[in-house]
Amino acid sequence: MQLLDIRNLTLELSTPDGMIRAVDRVNLSLKEGEVRGLVGESGSGKSLIAKAIMGVLHERWKVSADRFNWCGQDLLRLPYHEQRRIISRDIAMIYQEPSRSMDPTSPIGEQLAEAIPDHLLEGSWWQRGYYRKKRAIALLHKVGIRDHAAVLNSYPYQLSEGVCQKIMIAMAIAKSPKLLIADEPTTALESTTQAQLFRLLASFNQLKGTSILLISHELETVARNTDTLSVLYCGQLVEAGDTATLLKHPLHPYTHALIKSVPEFQPDLGFKQQLYALHGSIPTLQHLPIGCRLGPRCPNARKECVKTPLFERQQNHYFSCHFPLSGKTNE
Amino acid sequence: MSNLIEVRGLSKSYQKARGMFSRHTVLALSNVSFSLAAGQTLAIVGETGSGKSTLAKLLVGIEQPDSGEILLAGQQLNCADYQKTNHLIRYIFQDAARSLDPNQKIANILHDVLRYSTVLSFEQRERKIADTLKLLGLLNEHGNYYPHMFSGGQLQRVALARALILDPKILILDEALTALDPSLRAQIVNLLLELQQKTGLAYLLITNQLRLVRHIADQTLVLHKGISLDYGDTSAVFENPQHEYSRKLMKSIEY
Repeated sequence: MQLLDIRNLTLELSTPDGMIRAVDRVNLSLKEGEVRGLVGESGSGKSLIAKAIMGVLHERWKVSADRFNWCGQDLLRLPYHEQRRIISRDIAMIYQEPSRSMDPTSPIGEQLAEAIPDHLLEGSWWQRGYYRKKRAIALLHKVGIRDHAAVLNSYPYQLSEGVCQKIMIAMAIAKSPKLLIADEPTTALESTTQAQLFRLLASFNQLKGTSILLISHELETVARNTDTLSVLYCGQLVEAGDTATLLKHPLHPYTHALIKSVPEFQPDLGFKQQLYALHGSIPTLQHLPIGCRLGPRCPNARKECVKTPLFERQQNHYFSCHFPLSGKTNE
Repeated sequence: MSNLIEVRGLSKSYQKARGMFSRHTVLALSNVSFSLAAGQTLAIVGETGSGKSTLAKLLVGIEQPDSGEILLAGQQLNCADYQKTNHLIRYIFQDAARSLDPNQKIANILHDVLRYSTVLSFEQRERKIADTLKLLGLLNEHGNYYPHMFSGGQLQRVALARALILDPKILILDEALTALDPSLRAQIVNLLLELQQKTGLAYLLITNQLRLVRHIADQTLVLHKGISLDYGDTSAVFENPQHEYSRKLMKSIEY
């Protein structure tokens, strides 16, 4: 079943220099039990999209979309309270930098207990406290923290980043959400802890059928752990499709460059050989190029590229480029 | 082959006060030895608290070791000779945006570096700055820019310029590539590789990114709780780690 279906999501911010379009007509859809990766560089609007789904963007942002469906209901057209109710019931998010997004003034036990909704607790109201604590401990065990007594009584600053990240996950799964958004979950972690975290996310996906939206800028980790992939560049969706086919036959020059810049995907690349890189750097939001935003950096840009390319489809593979790298034009 | 830098039995511990009278010691590094030749790259991998950054600090002379010696081209390195050696070993910090003074133009930052460590005249300094900016693919006009006017990749280039302007022999990169975006990282990696080929610079790469280590490092040293576990050629360490911890670390690459 289609869980999330977003069409032409646009996020705009009005500044003294005029409207800035940070996210430009992005499509995103998620089925039940699907793990989708969202890849892009910093400033490409990945986190903005996540926040828009959660409905926690600052009110200065103008959110508009042709369709913003959650389980068949258009969230943007619902009254505010209804919208909040649905989101808080079904969607959970793991934020960037876990130790900074927790309350520094209260112990972990309290914060975790707060995240458990009442309707998931058994027993009458006077037994709630007991069951709540029991459930908090069970949650900690589930995310792989064995020493629950010490963790429940400590404050976020006393714990390592890896443990904080696990607690964030425990809070997120406390309400058994249908969709879990993980925003750069591994940037602050060691590589051994990263591996643990991905195993944990994969087990939730398989055991409970939770859909996961994995946001990251590291293509290699995302590629390993997702079924489908969306690639963003500067707020435009450049390519989307199955992870495997997308990695094998990228149609957009940006995806191509992204894949080629990772030594791991290039088995023929010699030791210490130069990596493939696009020249130039990411434009700032105030000076975005018109049309395809990759234009100035694109190796095969032509005159037509000043017009924004439409989102085209080749079976299950979507891309937006006038001159895709292979397929279409040759056929 | 002569070694540019050789480290023998380096140890460092920190004293921490516990209560009013008692203290306890934290062993940050114990008995670490390695050597690095010109034109080579040594990667130091390990989790936080493994003593990676302490090692870097000892090498640049921010801290003094408890025991052990650091030989730079056969000569012992002392903290007191800081003036003599600081242009040979340079350090690049993790966050380029936060390690540059926001109030100073790039040219001023670079002038300061040269003024404190060399005896060049103003014109010579100007020429040196122009050369260095060109080497790193920046324009001469960039000297008049303030740090906030640069993008992330360019800032990392400026940080590199500040390190390379003194023609060092060794460059210590403390997680300098971690925060960069993939396409910018490829650019900077290319730049580093090119510089190494051109000038025979040696790199000490402190990082968490094992995949990158496999591509650019000649040797790898695995640190765990201040103890060096595996040390040797990168391919040997990656394919055949000797210790339990290193094995776990190498396995984590598959996720």
